[in-house]
Amino acid sequence: MDRVVRLKLVLWVMVGLAAAIATARFAFGLGATTHLSDATPWGLWVGFDVMGGVALAAGGFVVTATVYIFKMEEYHSIVRPAVLTAFLGYVAVVVGLLFDLGLPWNIWHLTIYWNPRSPLFEVGWCVMLYLTVLMLEFFPVPTEGISALASLRRFLLTLRIPLVILGVALSTLHQSSLGSLFLIMPYRLYPLWYSPLLPVLFFISAVALGLMMVILESHVTAYLYRRKPETGLLAPLGAATRWVLAVYVAARFGDLAARGQLHYLASGAWQAKLFWLELALMAILPLALMSATRFRRQAGWQGAAAAIGVAGVVLNRIDVGGLADIGRGGPLYAPKWTEIAVSLGIVAAATLAFLFMIEHFRVWESRPADPEADPRKLPEFDKVGFTWLGTPAVAGRVKYSLGFVFAAGAGFALLGSPLAARQGSVPAPVHRARGDAGYLRSGVSEAASLGQPGELPRGVLYIDGDLTRYGVTFYHQREIERNGREKSCVLCHHMNMPHDQDSGCYACHRDMYQKSDASRHDWHASPHGANLACVECHEPGYARTSAHVKPCADCHKNLVPAGATIEIPNYNAVSYVDAMHEVCNGCHVKVAAREKKPEIARCAECHKGRLNFSDTRHYLYSPHAPAGRLVILPPPKVSEVH
Amino acid sequence: MKPAILTDTTKCTGCSECAIACQRVNRLERDIPRRWDFGDGLSAENWCSVVDAADNTFVRKQCRHCLDPACVDACPVGAMHKTAAGPVLCDTSKCIGCRYCMMACPFGIPRYEWSNVVPYVRKCVLCYDRIKAGGQPACTEACPAKATIFGDRDELLAEAHRRIRRNPGKYLDRVWGESEVGGTSVLYISGIDLSFLTYGEHFGKEPLPQTTTLAMESVPFAFLGMGAAMGGLYWIIERRNRLQAEKAAGEAKGQREPEK
Repeated sequence: MDRVVRLKLVLWVMVGLAAAIATARFAFGLGATTHLSDATPWGLWVGFDVMGGVALAAGGFVVTATVYIFKMEEYHSIVRPAVLTAFLGYVAVVVGLLFDLGLPWNIWHLTIYWNPRSPLFEVGWCVMLYLTVLMLEFFPVPTEGISALASLRRFLLTLRIPLVILGVALSTLHQSSLGSLFLIMPYRLYPLWYSPLLPVLFFISAVALGLMMVILESHVTAYLYRRKPETGLLAPLGAATRWVLAVYVAARFGDLAARGQLHYLASGAWQAKLFWLELALMAILPLALMSATRFRRQAGWQGAAAAIGVAGVVLNRIDVGGLADIGRGGPLYAPKWTEIAVSLGIVAAATLAFLFMIEHFRVWESRPADPEADPRKLPEFDKVGFTWLGTPAVAGRVKYSLGFVFAAGAGFALLGSPLAARQGSVPAPVHRARGDAGYLRSGVSEAASLGQPGELPRGVLYIDGDLTRYGVTFYHQREIERNGREKSCVLCHHMNMPHDQDSGCYACHRDMYQKSDASRHDWHASPHGANLACVECHEPGYARTSAHVKPCADCHKNLVPAGATIEIPNYNAVSYVDAMHEVCNGCHVKVAAREKKPEIARCAECHKGRLNFSDTRHYLYSPHAPAGRLVILPPPKVSEVH
Repeated sequence: MKPAILTDTTKCTGCSECAIACQRVNRLERDIPRRWDFGDGLSAENWCSVVDAADNTFVRKQCRHCLDPACVDACPVGAMHKTAAGPVLCDTSKCIGCRYCMMACPFGIPRYEWSNVVPYVRKCVLCYDRIKAGGQPACTEACPAKATIFGDRDELLAEAHRRIRRNPGKYLDRVWGESEVGGTSVLYISGIDLSFLTYGEHFGKEPLPQTTTLAMESVPFAFLGMGAAMGGLYWIIERRNRLQAEKAAGEAKGQREPEK
C-alpha cells in the first residue's frame, strides 16, 4: 500500500471509532461517554479539541501576516496550505465544542444573549468571525474552476489585505483570550500555571506554535506525497521560531520569579514534574534543536523539532484546561478512552479533508500525483523485481469503507452499556455468601450471634446498594429454604442475562413502596357479595375514586385490633415502607409529645447524615428491635469498604 | 435589604432537616451516589448538604450567593445572573452548557446533570420565590436548632460579631463570607477552620470578576492596536518596496540608455 493509502485507512478507522462514540455521546449524554465530574467539569475536549485546536490553527494568521503584510514573498507557496490548515482547524474546534457543550443546539445563543464581560463570550465571537475570514480567504481556491464565481473571486482579492489584517487582529484577541478564560480561577489553577500574564503567554506560544505547525505540516505532507522537503525555505521560519520561543521561556520564568512562585519548581509535586515536561517539550527542546544551524537545516531534525514543539504546546493547553487543577475532593480526572477516541477522530476527519483538498485543488503550486487518481488502474507489479507498484483506487476505497465500518462496530462493542455508565453508579460492595458456611470479607466477625451491633451471623449477605455505608442483611440460607431449595437459585441469579446477574431486592419485594387495595371492590359491589350501592361508600357528587371514599373502619369496626400501631386511615392499605415507619415513628411521635422532646420524632433521628431514606439508623440499637429480619448495620469505616 | 444566611456551626446538630426541607420545597428528586460526585453531598438534586467535618462539627454547604459572583461574570450568554433581590440564578433557557460557571466558582458549588441527555447546571436558588414573597428560605425555616438563620446581611454580620465577642473561646475570630472574594450572602461562624469549603486555602478580598477586567477592557485596544500596527506596517513596507522598485527601474533605465 502506498503511504497515503495506509495513512487514510488509519484515519478512516479513527473516524469510524469516533462516529460510534459520537452516537453514544448524543444519545446518552456526557456522563456516559466522559470521565468529567463536578470536580473537573472541563476535560480533554476543552483542553485538546478547543484550546489545542485553536492554537494548532495559529499558522494561518502567522503565515498570512508574513507574506501579505511583511511582504516576504518567498513564503507564498505555503500560504494556501497554512490557511487551509487554519480553516479546517477551526472547523474541528467548533465540532469538538459541539461534543463538549451540554446543550450544543443552543450554541447560537452567543449571537443574541451577550455578556461582554465574559472571556468566553469574546472567544466565541472571535472564533465565529475568524472562521468567516478564513472561509473568505480560502474561498478562491476550491472555486478556481467555476467561471460563474469569477467576479466574486476578484472582489475577494481586492479585500485580501483588509481580510488579512482583520484575521491577525481577531487571532490576537482570541488566542490570548483563551488564556484570559483562566484568569478568573486563581484558586483553582496550580500556581505554576496561573498568572495574570496568561493571555500574553498564550499569544506568544500560539505564534511559536503557528510557525512550528507550518514546518511540521510541510514535512509530513512532503513525506506522504514523496515531495522534496522544503527544508531550505523553512529554515528561516525555524530561526524565527527560536526567537519567539526564547521570549516565551523568558516571559514564563520572569513571570514565575515576579510572582515569587519559583520554589514550586523544585517542590517535587507531580505538577512540578508536569511543568518541566511541558516546558521541555514546548520550548526547551525545540529551542535547542533550532538553535543549532546543523539541525535546523536538516530535514529530519527540523521536522522533529517542530513535532516536539507542537506536542508541547498542545500539552500546555491540556494542562491549563483541566490537568493542572489543584483539585479538592472529588474524583481525579483522567480522560476516558471515548474522549480520546473522539478527539483523535475529529483530528483524523480534519486531516482527511486536508488531504482531499490538496489532492483535488491547487493548494500547492502543483497538485500531487494522486495515488488513486485513475479508478480503472489495475494493480501493477514491477516486471523485474516483482515489487508492488500501486493500488487501484477502488481497492483503497473498499479498505477505507471496511475500516470505517469495522471501527464503528468495534466502537459500539467497546462502549459496553452506556445506559449503565450514564447513571454513574459505582459498583456496590455486596459480600459473597456461601450458604451456612458463608463468610464475610468486610472485617465483620462471622461467628457472632444476632443481637450484637456490628456483627453478623453466618450465611448472611451485607448489601449496600447505594453505597451510603448503611445496608441491609440478607439471609441467604433462609431464602433458599423458603423458595424451594436447589430450584430457587434461578429466582435471583439469572445466569443467562448479561449485565444483570442478580435480581434486585425489589424484584420480589415489590410492595415496598406500593400501596395496595385493602378491600375487594368487585365483591363489595356484586349482588352476590355485599351488594352495596356506589353511594354507600363513595361520597355522592364526587368522582368515584379512592380519594372520595369512606374509611374501611367506618363499617369494619373490628378491622384494627385495639392497641395496634398501624392505622388504616382510608381505602388504601399502607405500603411496606409506610408500615415500617409506623412501627417506629408511631411510638416516637407519642413519646415526643408526652416528654416534650420533639427531636426524637424527626426524620433525622433515624435517617442520619445523608438524605437517602434507605440509610435508616441502626435498627438494632433500638431497645424495641425484635430479633427480626431487618438489620441495618452501623456504617463500616471507609477503608474497609474500599 | 440584602438577604443573607448566617450559619453557626457550633449550634448545628447535623440533623439534616435543612436538606430535607430544601428537597421538598424545590421538588428535587432522591439522588444516589454517582461517579462524578464531589464527595460533599451536593449534587444536581441536592442543593444543600450537611458535611460531617472534623471535631464533631457539622457544616451546612450551599451556594454562597457572592455579592460579586465569578459565575455570573464567566457565563458567556448571561444565563447565570445576580437578581436584584440577591440570589444568583441560572436562566436555563439561555444556557449553552459550557460549564464555565462550574470552573469559575471558587467554592465549587454549581453541579451538572451528567446523567441527562439534556443537562443543566443546578444549584441553590436561595428559595428566590419565597424570599421575593417576603418569606425565608426553606432551610433556615426548617432548622430546629436555629443554627442557620435568615436576615439582612448587615444585621447578620453584626450578630455574628456579637456572638464571637461574647464567646471568644467558642468561635474562631472570623466570619467566613464577610470579605472573601468580595463578600458572600451566606456567612459562617465556627469553632473550626472552614477553609475546606473553598478551592484555595487563602482567599483574597478582591472579587474574582476583577481578575478578568484588565484583560477584557484591553480587548478593543488590542484589536484596534493590532489592526493599526498591521495596517501601518503594510503601508510602510509596501511603500518601501514600491520606491525600491521605482529606483531599480530608474537605474535599469539609466543603465540601459548609454548602451543604446
